[in-house]
Amino acid sequence: MDIFLQACVNGLMIGGFYSLMGMGQNVIFGVMKIINFCHGEMLMVGMYLSYVFYEYLGIDPYFSLPLVALVMFIAGAVFQHTLITPSLGTKSFTNLLFLTVGMGILLTNGAQVIFSSDYRTITTDYSSTILSIGPITVALSRVVSFCALIAVSIALAFFLKCTKTGKKIRAVSQNPIGAQVVGIDTKKIYMITYGLGAALAGISGALLTLFYVINPTAGSNFGFRALIVVVVGGLGSISGAFFAGIFLGLLETLVSLFIGPSLRTLVVFATFIVILVIRQNIILRRK
Amino acid sequence: MLEVTNLNAGYGHVQILRDVSFKVDDGEVIAILGSNGAGKTTTVRSITGMIKPMSGSIKFDGVELCGKSSRAILDAGIIQVPEGRQLFTEMTVYENLELGAFSDEAMRKFDESLHTCYKYFPKLLERAHQSAGTLSGGEQQMVAVARALIGLPKLLILDEPSLGLAPNIVDEILVVAHDLAKKQGIGVILVEQDVTKALKTADEGYVIENGQVVLSGSSISLSVNEHVKKAYLGI
Repeated sequence: MDIFLQACVNGLMIGGFYSLMGMGQNVIFGVMKIINFCHGEMLMVGMYLSYVFYEYLGIDPYFSLPLVALVMFIAGAVFQHTLITPSLGTKSFTNLLFLTVGMGILLTNGAQVIFSSDYRTITTDYSSTILSIGPITVALSRVVSFCALIAVSIALAFFLKCTKTGKKIRAVSQNPIGAQVVGIDTKKIYMITYGLGAALAGISGALLTLFYVINPTAGSNFGFRALIVVVVGGLGSISGAFFAGIFLGLLETLVSLFIGPSLRTLVVFATFIVILVIRQNIILRRK
Repeated sequence: MLEVTNLNAGYGHVQILRDVSFKVDDGEVIAILGSNGAGKTTTVRSITGMIKPMSGSIKFDGVELCGKSSRAILDAGIIQVPEGRQLFTEMTVYENLELGAFSDEAMRKFDESLHTCYKYFPKLLERAHQSAGTLSGGEQQMVAVARALIGLPKLLILDEPSLGLAPNIVDEILVVAHDLAKKQGIGVILVEQDVTKALKTADEGYVIENGQVVLSGSSISLSVNEHVKKAYLGI
């Protein structure tokens, strides 16, 4: 029972990351109807940014979080405006596929050139602090990161629901023609949305650095999981992505516990395929 | 107010409109009539800047709008109720209306305009916090009209408001359109296939066939015109 509880807590902690990644991917998909294949790599960039801030400027990863988010937001918006918008104009899915996959490769290899493939870690004073609640032990940094993830998720939901820009983002994703009719600058919304997605991926990466090894390919796992989260949670649905992420995290750790860690990824993707088949039926019926 | 002269427009190399000319005065309702594929929607898209006309002039209060961006045209005060309504179906009616306030002035006067909209369409007040997609077709059309009104139009374009709606609801919407023109001095362009209803509401009518204005005149003269009677009224 104790082990089970422990696994649930661990699953919850990792699931929070999948949620945030999925939500970012989902906002981008909702507005631009494109799949951002370099989402995982953007997380990796967030990790390195956090690393650089800590290693060279001595800023604690939690304090550098807003900086990482800002840098990622600007980089994402620029990438969107200079490369994605022109590709969207061609209405070719393959162009966008090559563009975002290519960007992912570029980021991975860029990181390799700059930082080499060595695994890096961030060790702070509180890195080894462990919290024990009853039979469950969990690293303090994981708890703090998880709380931060939840806070960011709530802030995102609030932003989309209540702010003027958030409403415009939803408007564009629900009806681009209607958005044009009421004078919404869709290009600007595209930039903001992609920047937002990049910032969310960057935040996920930065929050991971305290207990995850930093290396150029660290993002791909999370990138794939984000895709699963989007499909399972429903394309364009923010709350769906949140719960799908948590579900995926729990599933992974429970499979590791009861079936074995080596089969973890296999079971996750098998579940994904099953859900895909079921959901496809649902989607078809709805249409 | 609006003066369209020799408008030529189309898609790519395919020309749809040929030398279309018409004008709308303050407080006037004009009807653009024609069957499917006659060029009505192309006309609307040209005026609202959703497509770039090939040539011609679109003057609004003396300012040339031909080739301007759709946002600039919106800022000038030309607002459309698009064909198919184009609402944000997963947002509430209130949120839809809120998004209609695209300018600073419209935002400032939002409460006042909202009050006017609820006066014209009391049903929307009841439905204010329901998502727009759950409304009936007629109610959705009301939201679309109200959303346009929130933007404080000087010229309102209603693109096929009768499409798929019950006759009594179409009447209700046309009465509002007529009222807006006569009481608030808004120019209204009514783009319609339902010629009978359109001619009852409009002051002037223009009949478009194959991208050209083939007939124009007062609604009364059009409704007794032999060609209109035969081709559109089925008399």
